[in-house]
Amino acid sequence: MIEAIQLSKSFGSFTAVDSVSFDIGPGQIVGFIGPNGAGKTTTMRMLTGFIPATSGRATIGGHDVFEQPMAVRRAIGYLPETPPLYGELSIGEYLAFIAEVREVPRGERLIRIGDVMDRVGLSGMEHRLLGSLSKGYRQRVGLAQAIIHNPRVLILDEPTSGLDPRQMLGIRRFIRNLAEDRTVILSTHILSEVEALADRVIVIDGGVIRADAPIDEIIHGSGDGVRFRVELLGGDATGIARAVGALDAVSLVEPVGQVAGAFAFDVRAGRDPRTAIAGLAIREGWEVRAMERHAPDLEEAFLELVGVEA
Amino acid sequence: MTAAWAIYRKELRVYLVSPLATVFLAAFLFLAGMFFYLGVTMTGEASLRIMMGNLSVALMFLLPMLTMRHFAEEQRSGTLELLMTAPIPLWALLLGKWAATVTLCFMLLIGTLLFPAILAYYGDPDWGVIATSYLGLALCCIGFVAAGMFASSLTDEPITAGIVGVLMLLPFWIAGTAAEMVESDAVRRVLRELSLTAHVEGFARGVVDSADVIWFGLFTFSFLFLTWRSVESRRWR
Repeated sequence: MIEAIQLSKSFGSFTAVDSVSFDIGPGQIVGFIGPNGAGKTTTMRMLTGFIPATSGRATIGGHDVFEQPMAVRRAIGYLPETPPLYGELSIGEYLAFIAEVREVPRGERLIRIGDVMDRVGLSGMEHRLLGSLSKGYRQRVGLAQAIIHNPRVLILDEPTSGLDPRQMLGIRRFIRNLAEDRTVILSTHILSEVEALADRVIVIDGGVIRADAPIDEIIHGSGDGVRFRVELLGGDATGIARAVGALDAVSLVEPVGQVAGAFAFDVRAGRDPRTAIAGLAIREGWEVRAMERHAPDLEEAFLELVGVEA
Repeated sequence: MTAAWAIYRKELRVYLVSPLATVFLAAFLFLAGMFFYLGVTMTGEASLRIMMGNLSVALMFLLPMLTMRHFAEEQRSGTLELLMTAPIPLWALLLGKWAATVTLCFMLLIGTLLFPAILAYYGDPDWGVIATSYLGLALCCIGFVAAGMFASSLTDEPITAGIVGVLMLLPFWIAGTAAEMVESDAVRRVLRELSLTAHVEGFARGVVDSADVIWFGLFTFSFLFLTWRSVESRRWR
């Protein structure tokens, strides 16, 4: 449904997006995450055809973004980074304008406008001026304009930015419902959002795709094996590290420091090493203070991918 | 065409609810009234000749203020991204915006019909000359709006766009005077052709020369074409 092939964009000597390729099938929700300035917005703007790529190509619903721009524009709903609103118009006037330029048939416009206003939680506000709306409401109007023509493909650039937690939940639920029969690509730098919404994650940093996989895979595929946090009291740190590292199951020992007099360290292991470590502690006369499986999350996987110390 | 019509109505709506149009209307009618008074009292004629001549120059300075927001503001507020990703052909966007501002200008001109009405009450004006004068002013509006839109497409600062618009129109005003000062015949002929005053003069005297009408047509078309190229190319920057 959405395909990017070796898509690149340079501004002068600065390469914002470097040979990005992905293929998003119908009905998928894909989270596009990366730190600020990673190239998310630039990539999305190229997908919508708003800015041309320096090289490479993109297609939406089989239409080339650069060669058949009108077909692509008809297929997509797009929420840019800042909701594109006219402050002088009321919500009703604005949505009527969008419905018209988005080619919603005349007879269906009023129904569609009422419907999307209900769906994003703007019922009864059609007379409010856009210029007087708070950030949360502006974002909702932005979403409403993106879906008013019932597009098959939704491109949402940071749909929940600037919202309070309750509004965020509402908008996420809304996007989830929308996605049933649509392809959605949404960018964010909020990781929990991707976990809550997306089937698949594309991690981008420095204009380059660092990972593209289902969420579970990104979380569990990071590093070598599962991580355990262990705290042992008794022996000296070097001795403990050497002895634990020598165990079969353990592939790596990473000292963390002293926790209330105990030596704390992380262990990477292919299989659960806790029985073996406990046995070792009993033989050596160490006291086991803590030993727990460290549940990895997207945040860690992400930080690891973009190369920042967790 | 639906898209052009939608853009047209949206632009007019934005004009009419913003204070800009009201302030503009007031300023324009004030200037027109002043030129009318001075013209009639100085010459003692029941004619709009002085008012029309001065208004065409006033429009040159004022109209870029009406057009300055067209692309500059859309670019700055991010709404250009909306328009350029919706199925709106670029020509429809230009046509809608241009026609909306031209419509507003015509409303202003209709507002000045008060002055010929006053003339008719006290004297016996030449209606043919008044009609051609209005045609001249209307053609000025049509052309200046196109030039102002081009200025607006060059920057994302509305104020800058307004100033650039005025600066772009000024040479067409000065060209007539400059023509009288140069030595070379060839240059003089070119400057006369470019001169705006040379092309509105006829209308003010009651003469409709098809060459003048074509001149304004070309003027308008050229600036609309430049706007089209400029909006198209700004995406590449």
